[in-house]
Amino acid sequence: MQQTPSSSTELTALEKVIAFVDERVGLKTIQAKMLNEPVPGGSRWAYVFGSILLFIFIMQAVTGILLMFYYVPTADHAFASTQYIIHEVDYGWFLLSYHFWGSTAMVVCVFAHMSQVFLWGAYKSPRELIWLVGLALFGIVMGFGFTGYLLPWDQRAYWATTVGVEIMDKTPVIGDFMARFLKGGAIPGQMTLSRFFVVHVMILPAALMGLAGLHIFLFRAAGPAGPFRGTPEEIKAKTDYFFPRQIWKDIVGMITVFFTICALAFWEPVVLLEEATPDPGDYHPEPEWYFLFLFQLLRLKMFGGEFGQFLGAMALPGAFMALLAALPFIDKDPERNIFKRPIALIGWIVVMAMILLFTVAAIINREFLD
Amino acid sequence: MMQPKLKSRVRATDREIGEVSKVIVDPLSHEISHIVVSMNGSGERQVAMTFVQSVSENLVELRAAAGDILELPPFKRDDYVTTHEVEIAHLEERVHVTPGEVLVPFPELEKSVKRRTFFMNFTHVIGFLIGLPIAFPVLRYLMKPMYSPFDNGWLKIGNVSKIKQDDIGVQFKYKRKVKEAYMPESEIEKNVWVLKVTPAVLDKVYQGKDMEFKDAFGKTVWTNKKDFPFIAFSGKCPHLGCGYKWRQHKVLGQVFLCPCHLSIYDASGKVLDGPAPRALDALPIKVSATGEVEIIDMEFKAGTKTQIRII
Repeated sequence: MQQTPSSSTELTALEKVIAFVDERVGLKTIQAKMLNEPVPGGSRWAYVFGSILLFIFIMQAVTGILLMFYYVPTADHAFASTQYIIHEVDYGWFLLSYHFWGSTAMVVCVFAHMSQVFLWGAYKSPRELIWLVGLALFGIVMGFGFTGYLLPWDQRAYWATTVGVEIMDKTPVIGDFMARFLKGGAIPGQMTLSRFFVVHVMILPAALMGLAGLHIFLFRAAGPAGPFRGTPEEIKAKTDYFFPRQIWKDIVGMITVFFTICALAFWEPVVLLEEATPDPGDYHPEPEWYFLFLFQLLRLKMFGGEFGQFLGAMALPGAFMALLAALPFIDKDPERNIFKRPIALIGWIVVMAMILLFTVAAIINREFLD
Repeated sequence: MMQPKLKSRVRATDREIGEVSKVIVDPLSHEISHIVVSMNGSGERQVAMTFVQSVSENLVELRAAAGDILELPPFKRDDYVTTHEVEIAHLEERVHVTPGEVLVPFPELEKSVKRRTFFMNFTHVIGFLIGLPIAFPVLRYLMKPMYSPFDNGWLKIGNVSKIKQDDIGVQFKYKRKVKEAYMPESEIEKNVWVLKVTPAVLDKVYQGKDMEFKDAFGKTVWTNKKDFPFIAFSGKCPHLGCGYKWRQHKVLGQVFLCPCHLSIYDASGKVLDGPAPRALDALPIKVSATGEVEIIDMEFKAGTKTQIRII
């Protein structure tokens, strides 16, 4: 659109094809629109996490589809087929390990992305809906983790699911129904595996694609928030378009994440425990590291007993998520500078410190069990 | 001040100099920052809005003389993209530069339709008529395996000769046959903890009363007598369902300890420490003359103060 080739030069065959398609689809306009988004205050490394998350998701989808070529979601074949992927199929160990470490990278980047938006005050008006959809996406990412690690059907898988579903069972009124619905019965078995498989490979990806699309649509509708300080003149002077500087930073971020995941997959490949049985043997059940703080929380006496457990497993995380959802509607002060929002800054530090503290405590506790 | 319109005539302090050919918008403030003036055949000039004195329906008056405007550098089209090529939200709501409304005729056939709202709602009703009858069958379809009757059959799990000492937890592993949906019958490994207990511990378990076990309809299927010295505890931790172990504890001596959330129980199943809401679940047990132990493999919901049987 912008640069129409001058009529004096002959078009090459490729240019003719591109022109043919563009005339019918308007690709150049779409591309220009996607790349020419003004970034107030200019590109920043802090803004890379959203793009990185999209990249990680695409890679999870690709590796996930490849894993399904050999994986069989039945109680008598899930473990064996996963072992086959790891030990027999060429590069199977790598694809499985990439998928595993990719999920970890996803959680890390979700935390980074949410922290950035929180600290920059970018959830405030008019971006409340982006924040809400983002929270739903956070739930979906956690759901991916939870449903994903049952699939290899080893001891870790079995116990994480057993405990996870028991926690869900404690939801008031609908808990028993929900737990049975997820398990497909009273105790974990084939029906549980089938259900988790469908949720992991069909329902959550569809939900994630829809909501991520909505997230980006809403983001484009509101425009980027930009830096939290600086006069309008300073911000204007530094403003550039999404392409090329921000895209360059995003791409560097993506390749860093890609090589980190590859390195982890290479040096710390996935190793299965024994096949799942209702007897843990010598295995000390433990969830994935990003659920460790919650796991450690439930060890506390104050979250013991029927009511305490409800407090620790449902009420506390539920109240925290509700607080996050209500945040843009409670915090109506347009001030976005994190250094002028002491409650937000202290709150963020406290939450991060608590998560770190409980995670470390859970790791230290391992020593006492052996 | 009004926004300058395309094709408006432009007048300098001394004379008319041309017409507005383009407007330039600031991408952050969404305000019009410049107008581009087509100078009656002497090219285009980019004129900042600060030069603009007033704007009326089709006239823009400048505060500078024609000569000053002509001296401005020519407008460089390549420095700009059109609004179609850039993503600026809600721009069209803020900038009104079209020289007039662009109209598309309403189709003839549509003009005679009176009940537009009715048809809109009717579409929704049809959607509901499709969705509603499916909702219940889909729910039933998914609920099929959720509830199954309790199995009150006895299972042989081993011989009491395995137990060498009183008040010590001994793990009995056994296989239980399960049949899920269309799947061939398979065996799953399970375990219970069996103890031969001294009368003091026995009294702590039964508290002077026989223990009754009921089926789904509340009918008693078995009674553990209060003076029978063998006790079997379900292998499932009543906190959140992990598998616990008989272990040496530094302070409490020999105890049942769950490695998940660190609940600790004594030989009678009583909670000594940790988050567990109730004691270990004793199961129906009988021992034959030859010492064969048989149990009914019941499971109870974890995390509740009272026992709720689930299988």
